[in-house]
Amino acid sequence: MVADSRAPSAARPARLNAPRPVLVEAGFDGTPRQVNRQAVMLVREEWRVVDRWWTEDPIGRRYFDVVLESGEHAVVFHDTEHGGWFTQRA
Amino acid sequence: MVACILIPGFELRAALRERPRLATRAAALAPLPGSDPVVGPVTAAAEAAGIRPGMRLGEALATCPSLVLVEQDPAVAEQEWEGIVRRLEDVGFPVEPAAVGCLYVETRGVERLYGGLEQALGRALAAVGSSWDARAGAAERKFAALAAAGVARAGQVLVVSNERAPDFLAPLPLSLLPLDESRTAELERLGVRTIGQLASLPGSAVAERLGPDGRRAWGLARGGDNRRVRPRRPPAEIAERLEFLEAVANELTLRRALAVLVERALARPERAGRAVRKLALSARLVGGGSWRRSTTLREPAAEKERLRTALAPKLAELPAPVTALGLEVAELAEWTGQQLELAGGEGAGSATRLKEGLRQARASAGATAVCTVVEVAPWSRIPERRALLVPRD
Repeated sequence: MVADSRAPSAARPARLNAPRPVLVEAGFDGTPRQVNRQAVMLVREEWRVVDRWWTEDPIGRRYFDVVLESGEHAVVFHDTEHGGWFTQRA
Repeated sequence: MVACILIPGFELRAALRERPRLATRAAALAPLPGSDPVVGPVTAAAEAAGIRPGMRLGEALATCPSLVLVEQDPAVAEQEWEGIVRRLEDVGFPVEPAAVGCLYVETRGVERLYGGLEQALGRALAAVGSSWDARAGAAERKFAALAAAGVARAGQVLVVSNERAPDFLAPLPLSLLPLDESRTAELERLGVRTIGQLASLPGSAVAERLGPDGRRAWGLARGGDNRRVRPRRPPAEIAERLEFLEAVANELTLRRALAVLVERALARPERAGRAVRKLALSARLVGGGSWRRSTTLREPAAEKERLRTALAPKLAELPAPVTALGLEVAELAEWTGQQLELAGGEGAGSATRLKEGLRQARASAGATAVCTVVEVAPWSRIPERRALLVPRD
């Protein structure tokens, strides 16, 4: 049986700005070279977020604020705990 | 006559109700978080140890290292004060509360009932309760009554007749007047140390030197105006409370709790359809102590949205997680209906259309189709933890 998505139980708060997977090709030093098959022209900023290390679900991220060859800005991060690249508005 | 009933250090006494043993030790009322770090009223033992109300916290602790700082409990103080005012009203006095710990009553109507002025005031002090160490002063004018209560001992009634009032006020210190410390110090440097000396100066000279405050103090020193007691309107008795299973700091949860409290309060039959004029929001804090904020609506309202909008910003002022949240309706309007405007205001139609549009969007795409962004931890370093998308009611 399929649950009715309009039922009140479905109306739960959702996270805003959740990370979305992104295709990234990184260089030997871990900085992104391509994002979604677009070359990275400039890494504007880089920072790390290490949080909740005292819990069973620690967070370790290496963020990059990059400018792509199309002129578009993007913020991507590498999840150092579970692996994988994601994009997110910082 | 006008009588003033004074309870010095009321907030401290209220906070010590649950810890009576501290009353015999050196204790002082702690400052509120975020306020000036000065101590409030102090116990007799603390006063004997050299602590004075208004002393800097560091200085007080250096003077008396065993000083116990008592956390303020504004909700309990408010409750106890309301109890005192109600007891006085129950024994027949029209009461005008001036501040917490100070009120004025009109004695004319009850003097014959109790067999005289002093007996009536004795009855009033008995109604207040002996544990509060209240004192009463009576005079023809409010300021003289306040001054008489200020110099009376605990449980004493001091009556100052109109003829004796100037002689009574003359030797009293300037500290009884509502003047800044700097103004009082300025007057003392000029050699003016008593109320009588101030009263003997020309009013225009005082006004020129000290401004409007000085002029007002000069007026009081000469007896003050003869405004009568303006009895308060007895408050409504509608209070709702919500206890939490564990301490709550999340604004979203607190807003939901507030919505429940508003709905419950509006559903109370005592309201009899009347609109709400004044509300108070109170909370029990996790580390002990309480918090209370009251608000008077610009226009009485009985719509839950308007009440929620008026109260919700107060939740942001909570200093700690709470274990219980309470809502009191302090005053109700006299009327039950409201004259609506003949033509709808600008934008009234679009608000209705927007509401209907949102309803249709929800009906076709589900309850999560229309959401509000609620900030839950805007300081978080993890972007997805800063805000939630909450489906709109």
